[in-house]
Amino acid sequence: MKKGEYPRARVDCLTRKFGDELLVYDQQRSVGHCLNPTAAAAWRLSDGKKNPSELARMMTQQLSAPVNESVVLLAIEELSQARLLVESEKPARRTSRREAIRAIGIAGAIALPLVTSLVAPTPARAASCRANGQPCVSNAQCCSGKCGTGGHCNA
Amino acid sequence: MKKLDRLGWAEGIRVYTYGVHTGVRVSTVGMLSQISRLLPAGWKNSRRATMQRLYSLVVAESNRRAGVKRMHILYADGERIARDTELDQVLATLETDIHRYVAQTSPHMTFLHAGVVGWRGRAILLPGRSLSGKTTLVRELLRLGATYYSDEFAVVDDSGKVHPFPRPLGIREDSTYAQTNYTAEKLGATSGVKPLPLGAVVICKYKAGAQWKPAPLSRGQGALELMANSIAVRSEPDQTLGRIQKLASRAVFVKGVRGEASESAASILNLLSPGKRQEKV
Repeated sequence: MKKGEYPRARVDCLTRKFGDELLVYDQQRSVGHCLNPTAAAAWRLSDGKKNPSELARMMTQQLSAPVNESVVLLAIEELSQARLLVESEKPARRTSRREAIRAIGIAGAIALPLVTSLVAPTPARAASCRANGQPCVSNAQCCSGKCGTGGHCNA
Repeated sequence: MKKLDRLGWAEGIRVYTYGVHTGVRVSTVGMLSQISRLLPAGWKNSRRATMQRLYSLVVAESNRRAGVKRMHILYADGERIARDTELDQVLATLETDIHRYVAQTSPHMTFLHAGVVGWRGRAILLPGRSLSGKTTLVRELLRLGATYYSDEFAVVDDSGKVHPFPRPLGIREDSTYAQTNYTAEKLGATSGVKPLPLGAVVICKYKAGAQWKPAPLSRGQGALELMANSIAVRSEPDQTLGRIQKLASRAVFVKGVRGEASESAASILNLLSPGKRQEKV
């Protein structure tokens, strides 16, 4: 059995459903991911016991639309890049978005798997910054990103 | 901290706000009324003996000899966080830090970095980092009749409603990023009091000359943007995501680049016009 052929989703992430999409928060890396319905289905079904063709069959049932193996491989690729699978290695078989589009046809009934990621901010980054001339103790406090040696934000 | 404790403090204040207990002590008498104006609106006196975070403000004495710089110094617990000859600058640091600390540690609410206005009984959120143009847009929305909720934080409770965080709008008027504070009333608007359900989230950035053509975002994508503007997601991810889930359940999300605020504000308010479809869970 080649590594990556039986993808396994990480179980140490927090998840919340938003309609058919899934928001996954990786606490280890402080990164949030939005999985579209196709990527979400692939991730939920990746238990380390199913190969891509089995995943394709189950996703077809779940999404009520034909899902072929190219789409599954693309989903695994996206999930792997987002580090949402236990295996950190790239899957043995790879596919591109172009191949997946060709496989499902232009008028495919499902959306291609998509994972969007954003880094969670530190509290300092998420709050308002300080103006030039205001006192500071670290670069992160300043709008300009520069806390001068005199303890003031500068340009 | 023990060294600081030995310094003899003239007066102090214990503050309870959004479930967080903080304290401020000062080295000279007569500062407390000035400090109380910097605290989050609606604060109460805390009865706790120990504070979660204690600020110590050493005000420079005025009768020192000429030619010697008099420094006002602010500590948060034992750490020095500001040191300046201008007291106003040090007080601005106190305000920023106390607001951020409350936003980060509040057990009752989730704080998102966003401008907020009320319109037709729903909240419009404008999430974004500093210098993304939030306050300018809030000001323009107020000019068109919206109710002021905040130009800094959207405060979200367990049911997903948005509470006001009504501090004066900090309007940056030149390239130094310096802010001048205006109350909503001074700008001819009213401040909201009642918590509101979310109506729309507008993620936008200012670009000179850009035309406002926002693209709709899915609810999941919109929630991800809210997560990326939440103060405590790293320390309280479960609670933060839970509240974002409730908050986002019936909202419209759009994203785009805007030019002048006056060109996009009316279109933003129109997102909540009666004819627009509201997404359901």
